[in-house]
Amino acid sequence: MKDNTTKTGWLGLPPLVVGLGAVVAVVIFGWQFLLAESELEVLGLVALAAVAGWAGGKTGLTGSLNEAMRGHGRTMNGAIMIGLLAVIGLLSEEHFPLLMLTTMLLYLTVGLGLNVQFGLTGMVNFAGAAFFGIGAYTSAVLTTHSAVPPLLILIGGGLMAAAIGFLLIVPVVRTAGHYSAVVTIAFGVLFKTFLEVNDVLGGPQGLMVDSMKLFGWDFNDGPQLFGIEMSFYVNYALLGGGLAVLAFMLTQRLERSWLGLALDSVRLDETASACFGVNVVRAKVLAFTFGNILVGVAGSLYGMMISFIAPNSFTFADSLLMVSIVLLGGLGSLWGTAVAAVIVVLLPEKLQILQEYRFLLFSGLVIVMLLYRPQGLLPRGVRQFFPSWRPQR
Amino acid sequence: MSDILLEFEGLAKSFGGVRALDGLDMSVKRGEIIGLIGPNGSGKTTSFNVMTGVYSPTQGRVRFDGQDITGLSPRKVYEAGIARTFQRSRLCLPLSIFDNIMIGNHARVNNGLWFNLMNRRGLRQQVEDGYAKARDLVAGFSSNLADRMFDPVGALPMIERRRIEICRALVSSPKLLLLDEPSAGMTHDETAQLMDDILAVRDRMGDLSIIIIEHEMGVIERLTDHCVVLSYGKKISEGSYAQIAADSEVQTAYLGVD
Amino acid sequence: MDIGLLGQYLANGMMLGTMYALVAVGFTLFFGVLDVIKFSHGDVLMLGSFTGFTAYLGVLAVGIVNPWLTLVAILVVSITTTAALGAVIARYLVLPLKSAPPLNILLITLMLGTALREAVRLFYPDGSNPKAFPALLPTASVDLGGFALRADSAILMAAGIAVIIGLNLLINRTRLGLAIRAVAQDEETAKIMGINYTMIVLLTFGIGSGAAAFAGIMNGLYYNEINFGMGLLLGLIGFSAAIIGGLGNIYGAILGGFLFAGLQTVGAVALPFASAYKDVFAFGVVIALMAWKPTGLIAERSSDRV
Repeated sequence: MKDNTTKTGWLGLPPLVVGLGAVVAVVIFGWQFLLAESELEVLGLVALAAVAGWAGGKTGLTGSLNEAMRGHGRTMNGAIMIGLLAVIGLLSEEHFPLLMLTTMLLYLTVGLGLNVQFGLTGMVNFAGAAFFGIGAYTSAVLTTHSAVPPLLILIGGGLMAAAIGFLLIVPVVRTAGHYSAVVTIAFGVLFKTFLEVNDVLGGPQGLMVDSMKLFGWDFNDGPQLFGIEMSFYVNYALLGGGLAVLAFMLTQRLERSWLGLALDSVRLDETASACFGVNVVRAKVLAFTFGNILVGVAGSLYGMMISFIAPNSFTFADSLLMVSIVLLGGLGSLWGTAVAAVIVVLLPEKLQILQEYRFLLFSGLVIVMLLYRPQGLLPRGVRQFFPSWRPQR
Repeated sequence: MSDILLEFEGLAKSFGGVRALDGLDMSVKRGEIIGLIGPNGSGKTTSFNVMTGVYSPTQGRVRFDGQDITGLSPRKVYEAGIARTFQRSRLCLPLSIFDNIMIGNHARVNNGLWFNLMNRRGLRQQVEDGYAKARDLVAGFSSNLADRMFDPVGALPMIERRRIEICRALVSSPKLLLLDEPSAGMTHDETAQLMDDILAVRDRMGDLSIIIIEHEMGVIERLTDHCVVLSYGKKISEGSYAQIAADSEVQTAYLGVD
Repeated sequence: MDIGLLGQYLANGMMLGTMYALVAVGFTLFFGVLDVIKFSHGDVLMLGSFTGFTAYLGVLAVGIVNPWLTLVAILVVSITTTAALGAVIARYLVLPLKSAPPLNILLITLMLGTALREAVRLFYPDGSNPKAFPALLPTASVDLGGFALRADSAILMAAGIAVIIGLNLLINRTRLGLAIRAVAQDEETAKIMGINYTMIVLLTFGIGSGAAAFAGIMNGLYYNEINFGMGLLLGLIGFSAAIIGGLGNIYGAILGGFLFAGLQTVGAVALPFASAYKDVFAFGVVIALMAWKPTGLIAERSSDRV
């Protein structure tokens, strides 16, 4: 029974109105934020967002938004997708803002993959940048040395990440906690060292990556619409957005399924899970592979977009930045990951003074988070299968 | 169908030099409630762990319902029909009551990747069926609890958590239920309530067999048909509660005097 | 292969093994008392060598030129400062998270390591460039049948091994060591026995960090160069060594340290294509070892009570 359509929420408005209003506000904010040029402007917008977030929590806006997402999931999801398209459309002639937006969307995809591994299943992957790099290098090799259609290369990047992940499956599944951490850390460092000393993959200088092409349409040509020449990044933003939306949908469905329950149960108590018939090995393999595929596909598209990759883009520090996204957003919290991806990717890009200090800044931020708010910025709610379903009996 | 549901034959388990189980023979009939008692460290919980596949035995065999389950993985043992609770509550505290119980139902739902990601309608049907089942089980213990199926378990008091642990073990309709010190951490009144619950469950579930580890002798006296007393991994006595209570060897094992 | 080259590899491998063992011992000590991994250990080591370098600059500015005196000053300043830093980290970042999930401490110290690394890079004068660490030890060498053993290498190795033996004696033969082992065995019982728990934890972190500073100075003297990023790889190697050996076991850590150095050396000697792959090879073997022995060669005591 759905009785929440009549419920009123924030400021006496129905939740759906609040929800749609929030989407519009975020679209306008995102558009202005990505366009903002001066540091002062950016700082002002950051302050505005912080105040809005804080006030929203205090006045019950967050509750209303949750209500909207729960009761009107489809409408809200549609609105968010249209909102994303609107931002891309509004920025269609701006190279740099679109590049940032797409990078953020790809990091969101990465964050979702790592969240399935870490947040849901409890397996921390400290080699996120390595799997991202596997995707990117797959793109580099296949776009320049084969005639494989680029769309298949994206999938290939994901499969390659999964396949190399399989080499780690035995130690990762058999070990737990610190022992498992050392496996992925060692792999992350090994991967970068390997790239640096391997001449076939370009050594420290890296490789060129050819562009994305879809049915003969080269993504590095700006599309023309109504006589306006748009930035070629529009193509990547649209594809990156589609990828992030697909990743979000799949991750959310995974979380809200029997498999998601198994992942949570394995994280919380492996021994007890096994005693109740949960196939622990299958759950871990599934989560690890699912996550690596998302990370690999995102890396693959990233390589095509920036068209030049080198080992220095896939360091251990980058892996830690990816883990930071998951931790800052909140373990297991998908919307939290989205918010954290915005903060971690966009903030240092927009505030150039921060760029140099970003690793220091975010490591400090995560330390403070772990000490005082370990549940993250947007803590995950109680797990549910169908949020709109409340059996009355 | 044999009358004997579970049988141990010379079961032994060593940890380093310590023999936690030392040649244990024991059998459980269908529908019987067995009390497993003995001083701390006498091998009671170890016998549960060996039975459920958490540890594999150093020696000996476990036969259950006509098949040899020695050394099977915990998952296979569970699928064969043995479910348990733990000495220290091992529920998933951030998850809802419903989710915790559904963990016990895991082997009976569709775990296919495609089904779970793409067939939301089919999943919805399975979730609703599971809900009906879980709610009925919980309602058998407490109607108050049945109205809070979507609350996280972490918010509940100990006795409710024990009830949910038992529901999680019962949801797969096991043939044998292992209860590891269900009264631990509860008051006298709460223990009495829980005992009523367990007896009610047994009446409802027909020929469910139960092995219960307990230190509270009142519980053992009230619930069990038959008792087995362990000391240093060996069986030192068995019989009805009255018989073992009168056994001088049992008193020696507990009090440590001759 | 000729004997001279073999000797060179052997000496280098022993030197690396000693350094790795010193780092690994720290990891295993921390794990012993608190069941935690403090990943910032490698970067604490780096900070130790930078502190030593700063002390050297200070001594130089005062006008002392005697290399032995300089060395003593470097060691004293670096080890005491780093030990204090280790205790501070334990007090303010590790102990507050003791009841949180164990991975949180790994995460917070990983982040701390990054923060230390970045802080040195950004705020130490010209921190992003390598620093030339002075060669303070005599460089005379003796010829051992085609292989020249240099005095500085011999001294460094002897000193490193002496510190390892000293740490071992400290843990196994002294009252302080007894208290540390008591805390490692069972926190509650140790408290009941009248052991000042917090003090022992802080001391343990101080000792482990001091050992790391020593390894950092050793590293500087051996390579005559230090840089802000040196701690990451050394920390990871120390962590891997402690893990391969089996966490919480001091002999395991030493074994792991020498094993890792052995792997690198074998990798450098035996891989026909390029010795540049030696680290790839060594970490590859670590991963394979974890698949084979998930809790290390000398297994950790199991803590999961069912």
